[in-house]
Amino acid sequence: MLAMIIKEFRELRRDKRTLAMLIALPILLLVVFGFAANFTIKTLNTAVLGPGAPLARQLLTMRPQAAEHLKIVVADASGDEGDARGLLRDGEADVAVVTGGEKPLVFINGANLFAAQSAKIVVAGLGEVVTSEILFNPELKTSWVMVPALVGLILTFIGMLITSIGLVKERQSGTLEQLAVLPFKPADVIAGKIAPYLLLASVDMVAVTLLARWIFNVPFAGNPFLFALGALIFLFVVLGLGVFVSTISETVGQAIQTAMFFLMPQILLSGFIFPLAAMPAGVRWIGYGLPLTYFAKISQGIILRGAGLAALWIPFVVLTAMALLIFSAAVLRFRRTITPARSPGTPVPKLAEEFQS
Amino acid sequence: MTSSSPDGPWGLSACCVRFGTTHGTVAALEEISLAVPRGQVTAVVGGDGAGKTTLLRTLAGRIVPAAGEVRVPPPRRIGFLPSASGVWNDLTVDENVEFVGRAYALGRSRLAARRLDLLGRAELLGAAGRLASRLSGGMRRKLGFCLALLHEPDLVILDEPTTGVDPVSRVELWRMIAETASSGSAVVLSTTYLDEAERAASVLVLDDGHTLYSGEPQSIAAAVPGTIVHTPVRPPGGAGESAWRRGREFRAWYADATAGEVLDEPDLEDAVIALTLARSSEGDAGRRDRAGGAAR
Amino acid sequence: MNGRRPIVEVDGAVKRFGRLTAVDGVSLTVHTGEIVGLLGANGAGKTTLIKTILGIEALHGGRVNVFGTAPSRATRQRLGYVPQGLGLYVQLSVKQNIDFVAGAFGVRTPTSIPEDIATHAHHQVKDVGLGLQRRLAFFCALLHRPELLVLDEPTSGVDPLARARLWDTIHAQAEAGAGVLVSTHSMQEAEQCDVLVLMSSGRNVASGTQADVIAGTTAVEVRSPVWSMAFEALSAARLPVTLAGRAVRVAGVDRARIAAILSAASVTADLREVPATLEEKMVLVHRRTATG
Repeated sequence: MLAMIIKEFRELRRDKRTLAMLIALPILLLVVFGFAANFTIKTLNTAVLGPGAPLARQLLTMRPQAAEHLKIVVADASGDEGDARGLLRDGEADVAVVTGGEKPLVFINGANLFAAQSAKIVVAGLGEVVTSEILFNPELKTSWVMVPALVGLILTFIGMLITSIGLVKERQSGTLEQLAVLPFKPADVIAGKIAPYLLLASVDMVAVTLLARWIFNVPFAGNPFLFALGALIFLFVVLGLGVFVSTISETVGQAIQTAMFFLMPQILLSGFIFPLAAMPAGVRWIGYGLPLTYFAKISQGIILRGAGLAALWIPFVVLTAMALLIFSAAVLRFRRTITPARSPGTPVPKLAEEFQS
Repeated sequence: MTSSSPDGPWGLSACCVRFGTTHGTVAALEEISLAVPRGQVTAVVGGDGAGKTTLLRTLAGRIVPAAGEVRVPPPRRIGFLPSASGVWNDLTVDENVEFVGRAYALGRSRLAARRLDLLGRAELLGAAGRLASRLSGGMRRKLGFCLALLHEPDLVILDEPTTGVDPVSRVELWRMIAETASSGSAVVLSTTYLDEAERAASVLVLDDGHTLYSGEPQSIAAAVPGTIVHTPVRPPGGAGESAWRRGREFRAWYADATAGEVLDEPDLEDAVIALTLARSSEGDAGRRDRAGGAAR
Repeated sequence: MNGRRPIVEVDGAVKRFGRLTAVDGVSLTVHTGEIVGLLGANGAGKTTLIKTILGIEALHGGRVNVFGTAPSRATRQRLGYVPQGLGLYVQLSVKQNIDFVAGAFGVRTPTSIPEDIATHAHHQVKDVGLGLQRRLAFFCALLHRPELLVLDEPTSGVDPLARARLWDTIHAQAEAGAGVLVSTHSMQEAEQCDVLVLMSSGRNVASGTQADVIAGTTAVEVRSPVWSMAFEALSAARLPVTLAGRAVRVAGVDRARIAAILSAASVTADLREVPATLEEKMVLVHRRTATG
């Protein structure tokens, strides 16, 4: 039996990916649950609008409880209800106070669940002095907040995990060699391999969104074409990651392990389970490096709040940049596996016309 | 450099292939020349690591040699069967045929005719709807062979088509290989089975990237230096190192003429073993004489 | 055969998988000092039979005795098995593999390791050539001095010299008294066995020495300047045709019929009756069982 134990340890020592999982996973979970897993939002971005704005601002900054939690980001005496709704829709504020009516009106961003919970408490503390309304997600349903981000998660799974498995299977079975010799251009092979997953992911995404509407009555407040565009860009990011994983894996098992490396942090740190605002700065920066974070913003913004491109342009730009970078790098790597291998130091030969594809 | 010659002659001239590894550059093929004429079967023989796969992949265009010339027909006229199974396991036999047919843009009627002809000769028509993973090893290999021939290539390259295949399927594969050659294509294959290599019109024996012998299998005996003797028992002592068993008796190789019953007609196996022994003893004794690089 | 005791006795073994009878009444014996070669196409039942001898599968009928008793952990302790995949841990080093097997069988790691294996002691098995891997697998299988060796395709893929050396080891074991059961697809390996057992569709269709197995089967050798036409004509008639150099061979078909086919195709050729090869015998057997 001892021989068995020694052998297992020795094998484990050589298996870099499993080792990495052994070490990295506890660290990740520790970081996440130690620092990131925080549902209490300390400060809420607040807007005060309307003629009474300067007064309201004074009052709020004076009240200790309010001052601690409300961070005034906009103070506009000429603003009105429409502006308030717009600010919340665009994600610039989580709480908006509109003065000038009978009672001050407080709008709370229901799409930001934990912010809304905190806001409710604060507002309750203000008492009968104000009327409040929760926008976008009046009943503060968790499902409504989760589902938009879930779409992103599904896209990530299919784009990364399933794509990388599909591509690695070809290498594992040895048929990649033959593909290279068949009269396919490398572009054909790559496009042909990725297209089914692109299609599947898109179909899945539509299905989940529809199901969400049907089962959970999640609204679709914004522009579906904008959403589709965002989803497409995001798909290229995760497909690129999937292709990349397949180029560094020899077997399906390795592909799954590696894909999980990229997946786990995104699930936990992209802000759709644990709010980004609640994380300490150091951990939050990790979140800002992950693609899913940006898609979650787009997805929640459009589906729940009806936000437009003007408000969401930053996530769109970041995702587009990621897509261009990651997808092209991955495709180039993959291309190398199906083009002829060159001996080191060989000058590039001039090929006859027939060979140029 | 690779040049496309649609009509032949095809082959390799003085090709060198090197791979960069963590230990520096490794010479996988050293000055290898091989002619692959039409209407014939050419065999490449050698053990694991001898360079057979590297050579075939160079012919197929998967590797660009560091030096030397590769003359092959245009890629569409080449058929290739890699040493791994060469079939898509999650597809049925027919789906495999259809995929490759589409890849080569074969018209529907031509594909149907080729399918009937090839699968018929391979005796796979009865299993046309079966998943490739459910076929026996020999049947899978035959399917791979059919796929490589689907587009009627002029040059057919097969990497160890019969290794690990049961004898009955092996005979059937050989029948198909011989039929392909006799119909005018050039066939080059690699094998570790010397009884098969003996059937080829010409054979190239590789050892560690070098040529041990190149020519007709029947003439290899003349290329063996020293003598091969056969004895009923293993020669004692040091000479035992150069002895090997065949059936009930032993054969031994000596670098020079020696007393003993000389073997009249060493077959390919005896000759290759003797050449391998000769090369390693030359290596031990005469490294300083390597500069000449005498071809065998 | 003086002093030879049977180590493995298989008597009418039957093994089914659902509706498929993989082994259908097979009998064979392996004696001490004897090398028995098991031949047959895929699906003939060789692997299943071996598994029953190893004790990994149980029989539905008949009897298997290894060292006089039914296969058990105790019998496995006395046999050495080298599977087709070698059973080595490719991520570990050569020495680590040896340590593991020694530990598993409860023997000491030997102090004297063959030179070629020792030079690679700390290399990972996957970085070592196939020839050396096979030698290592053998070495490990022999560590506990087994009295029975069961080998599945022991020299597939290695060059002739390496193959000869591996077979030297096998013969040495047999000479020292071990019994050896080899499953193979290679005619050259079959040559090296004392006794051959030919299986087809789960049955033992022929056994004995190579001469016994081939006995009575002849082939016709066809020599013709237009060998390819002769080949095509005979092949088109669905006969078992093989090539030997430039000569075309047809096994198990009488000369007259061949002559008729050739003359119908206007091919002139010399015909000669020769003994069949083992390979041709196997093809004929397969055809008979396939149609019968």
